[in-house]
Amino acid sequence: MRATLALEDGTVFYGNGFGAQTEVIGKVVINTAVVGYQEMMTDPANAGKILVLTYPLIGNYGINPQFNQSGKCWIKGLIIKEASRIHSSWQAKKSFTDFIKEESLPAAESFDTRTLTVHLRNTAEQLGIFSCSGAAQDELLAKLKEFKNIQAKSTLAKLSVDKPVLLESNKTDKIKIAVLDLGVNKGMLKQLEALKAAIELLPFDTAAEDILSRKPAGLIISNGPEEDAGLDKVSANIAGVVGKIPILAVSTGAQVLARALGAEIKSLKLGHRGVNYPVVHPGILKADITAQNHSLIIDEYSLAGIKHVKITGYNLNDKTVEEFESKQLKFLAIQYLPSSPGLGEINPVFEKFYKLVKGA
Amino acid sequence: MARRKDIKKILIIGSGPIVIGQACEFDYSGSQACKALKEEGYSTVLVNSNPATIMTDPEMADVTYIEPLNIEILEKIIAKERPDALLPTLGGQTGLNLAFFLMKKGILKKYGVECLGAPVEAISRAEDRELFKKAMLEIGVDVPKSGIANSLKEGIRIGLEIGFPLILRPAYCLGGSGGAVVYNQEELEKYLDKGLSTSPVHQVLVEQSVLGWKEIEFEVMRDRADNVIIVTSMENVDPMGIHTGDSMVVAPAQTLTTQEYVDFVNLCKKIIRKIGVTGGGANIQFGQNPDNGKIVIIEVNPRLSRSSALASKATGFPIARIATKLAVGYTLPEVMNQVTGNTAAFFEPTVDYCVFKICRFTFEKFQASDRTLNTSMKAVGEAMSIGRSFKEALQKGVRSIEIGRFGVGADGKDSITDEMLAQKDPELLEVIKEKIRIPTDERIFYLRYGIKAGLSNDEIYSLSSIDRWFIDNIRQLVELEEKIKMFRNNKSSEEIKIEPALLLEAKKDGFSDRQLAYLLNTSENKVRHYEKKIKQSPAYKEVDTCAGEVNAQRPYYYSTYETKDESRPSKNNKVVILGGGPNRIGQGIEFDYCCCHAAYALKDEGVDSVMINCNPETVSTDYDTSDRLYFEPLTLEDVLNIINIEKPMGVIVQFGGQTPLNLAIPLREAGVNLLGTSADNIDIAEDRKRFKEMLHKLNLLQPQSGTAFNFEEAKEVARKIGYPVLVRPSYVLGGRAMEIVYDESLLEKFITEAARVSGEHPILIDKFLEEAIEIDVDLIGDGETFVIGGILEHIEEAGVHSGDAAMSLPTFSLSNEMVNKVRDAAYKMAKELNIIGLMNVQCAAKDGKVYILEVNPRASRTVPFVSKAIGVPLAKLATKVMLGQKLKDLGFTKEIIPKHIAVKESVFPFNRFPGVDVILGPEMKSTGEVMGLDEDFGMAYIKSQVAAGQNLPTEGNVFISVRDKDKRSIVLIAKKLADLGFGIYATTGTAAVLEKNGLSVTVMPKITEARPNIVDLLKDGKIQLVINTPTGRIPRQDETKIRAHVILYNVPYTTTIASAQATVNGIETLIKKDMQVKSLQEYHAQMNKPQPKVKAADRPKAKKKTKNKKRK
Repeated sequence: MRATLALEDGTVFYGNGFGAQTEVIGKVVINTAVVGYQEMMTDPANAGKILVLTYPLIGNYGINPQFNQSGKCWIKGLIIKEASRIHSSWQAKKSFTDFIKEESLPAAESFDTRTLTVHLRNTAEQLGIFSCSGAAQDELLAKLKEFKNIQAKSTLAKLSVDKPVLLESNKTDKIKIAVLDLGVNKGMLKQLEALKAAIELLPFDTAAEDILSRKPAGLIISNGPEEDAGLDKVSANIAGVVGKIPILAVSTGAQVLARALGAEIKSLKLGHRGVNYPVVHPGILKADITAQNHSLIIDEYSLAGIKHVKITGYNLNDKTVEEFESKQLKFLAIQYLPSSPGLGEINPVFEKFYKLVKGA
Repeated sequence: MARRKDIKKILIIGSGPIVIGQACEFDYSGSQACKALKEEGYSTVLVNSNPATIMTDPEMADVTYIEPLNIEILEKIIAKERPDALLPTLGGQTGLNLAFFLMKKGILKKYGVECLGAPVEAISRAEDRELFKKAMLEIGVDVPKSGIANSLKEGIRIGLEIGFPLILRPAYCLGGSGGAVVYNQEELEKYLDKGLSTSPVHQVLVEQSVLGWKEIEFEVMRDRADNVIIVTSMENVDPMGIHTGDSMVVAPAQTLTTQEYVDFVNLCKKIIRKIGVTGGGANIQFGQNPDNGKIVIIEVNPRLSRSSALASKATGFPIARIATKLAVGYTLPEVMNQVTGNTAAFFEPTVDYCVFKICRFTFEKFQASDRTLNTSMKAVGEAMSIGRSFKEALQKGVRSIEIGRFGVGADGKDSITDEMLAQKDPELLEVIKEKIRIPTDERIFYLRYGIKAGLSNDEIYSLSSIDRWFIDNIRQLVELEEKIKMFRNNKSSEEIKIEPALLLEAKKDGFSDRQLAYLLNTSENKVRHYEKKIKQSPAYKEVDTCAGEVNAQRPYYYSTYETKDESRPSKNNKVVILGGGPNRIGQGIEFDYCCCHAAYALKDEGVDSVMINCNPETVSTDYDTSDRLYFEPLTLEDVLNIINIEKPMGVIVQFGGQTPLNLAIPLREAGVNLLGTSADNIDIAEDRKRFKEMLHKLNLLQPQSGTAFNFEEAKEVARKIGYPVLVRPSYVLGGRAMEIVYDESLLEKFITEAARVSGEHPILIDKFLEEAIEIDVDLIGDGETFVIGGILEHIEEAGVHSGDAAMSLPTFSLSNEMVNKVRDAAYKMAKELNIIGLMNVQCAAKDGKVYILEVNPRASRTVPFVSKAIGVPLAKLATKVMLGQKLKDLGFTKEIIPKHIAVKESVFPFNRFPGVDVILGPEMKSTGEVMGLDEDFGMAYIKSQVAAGQNLPTEGNVFISVRDKDKRSIVLIAKKLADLGFGIYATTGTAAVLEKNGLSVTVMPKITEARPNIVDLLKDGKIQLVINTPTGRIPRQDETKIRAHVILYNVPYTTTIASAQATVNGIETLIKKDMQVKSLQEYHAQMNKPQPKVKAADRPKAKKKTKNKKRK
């Protein structure tokens, strides 16, 4: 079945559908990583997105449920160049195309993903309507226009735990770290397991006093979908926690924290989505290659103007804020993803945060 | 941190001649390094013995030495130049080893030279097998079970402990040379012995074989602030057991899961830190068990490598340039990536295409060699292709290597046809299975036959261990083939009726017009017209290092079939340069050198250069050599598509060797403007009949000749002109299937092979001029003025291919009168052909007459050599002339005869092809060349020999065995050797002659008759030089054995009387005086002073009556 992607600016791209024959509307984003399709599709932070993969050959190594970042596929649609007919890996449990079918995901191949990427780079990331049901493009564009007038709904309630959940553990340190769940993924939870504290997941809308009353030694604000309508309220809650307990804010969590501090949020023309982004730290020669997945950025000037806040990391290429902290207010914030550097190893930011917690 | 200010002068060591395992990639990395250092204001000193490189162009480094690459010479250069630092990581294994031995001998310390990029400890940790293993185990990286053997006994003990099969890896060896897979004790002993003698430190790693595992590579870079990036991953399509230099490779890796990928990256970071690279790159090779993901490390190269050149071209990330910046102190975040122009080098490249590398082999040149691929590299070149799918890249890759194939089969050239497969012959199936099981250069085609014969992915996997993902992709091509065939014409005259949608699908999967023409039973031309009619043409996409995320300023392009073309051709005047494609014997770096010079000259003239090439090793495919680069196969279809987009004012076909020249006629027919000498005049030079008429008109001589299509006709021609005759096919380069034939019985044998290679063209038969001296002339013309670049005299007599012969510029034994005759003939022909650009003449001098053998109206193999010898960039001038400039205005109007002597010597790959005899003939066999420069002929010759890897002795013993014909000439040579203090050993016949002439000789028995025989002496290192001229076409068994051992134990040898003579003269010079070094710039400066006329009498004379060294 012919698949069509119509963008807000009227540009239309075509391909061949191989997933659910439905129609979806969402923000069209690209990701430049060569591997990781399963992780991207199941990461709650990508909820609602129509995901375009720039690497053309997808599905080669199949699917293994163990690599799911959550219980399901969260993206709204998937656009690629070529879906592999077979998969070949000792780790694979099923094929990529079967997974797409099981998840009822609209997906299509044979798109000129390169041209689509360059188009988004030259214009801007935008909404798109993606149809695998053979609808005509005029009809699709009309639907997209109509959609824009409807107020966006928050998906946080679907992504987050609905009540506090204490994760099972045999931790040696008799302290607890709370994670405000804006759509936390399994990759991060797995790393947190290595910490010596108990981990408690809190619903996204937990009020400041409720967070504090649970007496966590520290709070992690998780990653989650950007631009969610429900994030305003989360920021307001966080404002009541800042300075009271140590905080680690991750990705979208960092944006929430920045807004709670009064900083402004801006939008990139084309988001940082991939695994190759350089982050440099002023005055330090050692820099980091990071995975990133964000279209929104924290405005540097508004952030720098806030008392006690120090910007500690920039994207080397476009000089956007990627890391900030406050000794006085006891928080660390990273805009990039705190990926595990390797099997069983944890990102240094968690260790740094744990030190902060223990020192508090 | 910024660049270091405590160092001012940096020495760069090149990699020497092109050999298997070390090709133009080090010219590419060395030139990038020179440019990068110059940019930073460092003074640079470069040493390389290979004149056919861009890096040895006098303007690349401040001081350039074309001198042999060994410790003694390097010490002299260091003593003279006093560099502060040495950059050892850009000259391949050669450069790295030299740096290591300079350190070991205390030379670096003595002169206070620092090793940049990879400290000597890092080199040792990567290269010394014991240190490496220890280092890896310390960071928890598994290595295959192994032990280090320093002796045969030790190796056997280790081997038996680990169990078979085993892999043997000699330490400090290039391209796995001396390496082997052994399956039993007998093989273990045999190859261990060989490996120990191959290794410069007499050390072999005896290793558990991980045959059939996945082979995964990563290119990693690290700076001195400990920042690390991964440039790309690569996956070998051919699994472990085949040298990665011989494997088909894809980038990025296709079958790794996210978790595996992350683990590999993590390991790479740990490894590069542990090895201790402080400013540069490393190639890390892993083996991975496909059944459980277990990873072992195979090796680390802490330097620029063939793989890093590939990774660089595959991603657009200039590794050599960045490695150089890191070596002098910059950090990755401080260096910009010039391809994007606005991102830092600390931004890992990512791609939105699939890159495929496939190798070019030349087994056809070494008939007796085994085509089986193993851990010892055999490929002489490679091509890289890019597509939006693996299928597209694969098919483009196969047609890029120019083996006459136009994709993965279905091009009308399949050795197993559909009809044969339809028979369902079980024997044929067994043959196919065997060819899938045992890897050769043809396996890719047998994978297709296997699929067609009904083998499943699993069956093919269990035979080949090639990942099912790759096999299935080939299966998809086979399925599409079947779909296309449904539209097959009954008669080729019919109109094409394939549906446009299916045609598009085929093009997307990389099917060439040739394949489509075959499948549809029509012509390539018709397919092309049909595509034009339905408006189907490729789109060009960018290689931009960032998958389209950033608008790159200096991207390059590849074709694919997508919706939008990104090529944005400029409106400037532009010229397309057709490159030479993959390296092969007969067409290598010399032609890439010329193509680069064409691009530089176009820049000077304000014309945009558009380069088309598919060889990832080269300077021509560097992002900043031309204004626009298309990484594409050099077939008519691919070239015409680019011309359609670019609309150039002209195309240069003169410089890339035979590849572009073969396209000249079809391009002309397609209405393309070819620059330079007119098409009609090219035709005169190439058409035998018209050429003959021209020579007749000019009163020039030619050996008698004729043409034939079969043995009967050939017999007739040979009888008429008289034996010996030279037999060769039309339209081939490098003397393919060329033979000298002395009688009718041999004629029959060779005519068959010649006819096969020649195809529809006739076989050429010339009278062979025995005992003649061959001469090469390179000339440049602008249609008005014609100037000889150089007259080169061959050192071997006629019969040795000019690409293999040693040559001297200026001539060394010819009389002035003779040289003048050659000169006159060259000028006459140049005028007659109205040469615009370059021309090469090959002629022979005999009995006071000059015979014209061949005229090529194009750049020859010797252009870079001549350019460097005379200090004039001929290829650059030729390009300008082709654009309409005049030599008069360019200031080159008079032949330069240098006062110094430049000797070219060739380098052969015999050590890679056990069982192949080392004798030279009219078929070219060398892979590379070196230049010996000196004021004195003897010394220049010796330098060329030393540079070519012949460590000529000044004392010791010489073994002499010559054929009857040469017995008189050898006496004087042997006498000289005895006078110089050498002990003489000889075979019975040769000894008799020598003794009769008053020499004291030790007579050696036949190998089978007694011991110790010559083989034993060679093994024990008792013989320092071998002079052995072959007795005939089918040599005696002893001779072959002797020559095989000479190669095995790397004993200097010569197989012709002429070169024996030159060698002995050289040895004499070497004993009398020390080898001195002098830079190219010094030679050139000297030349610009007025020259006294050189008389032939002032030159050392070679033996007048040299004997023909050819077999009879």
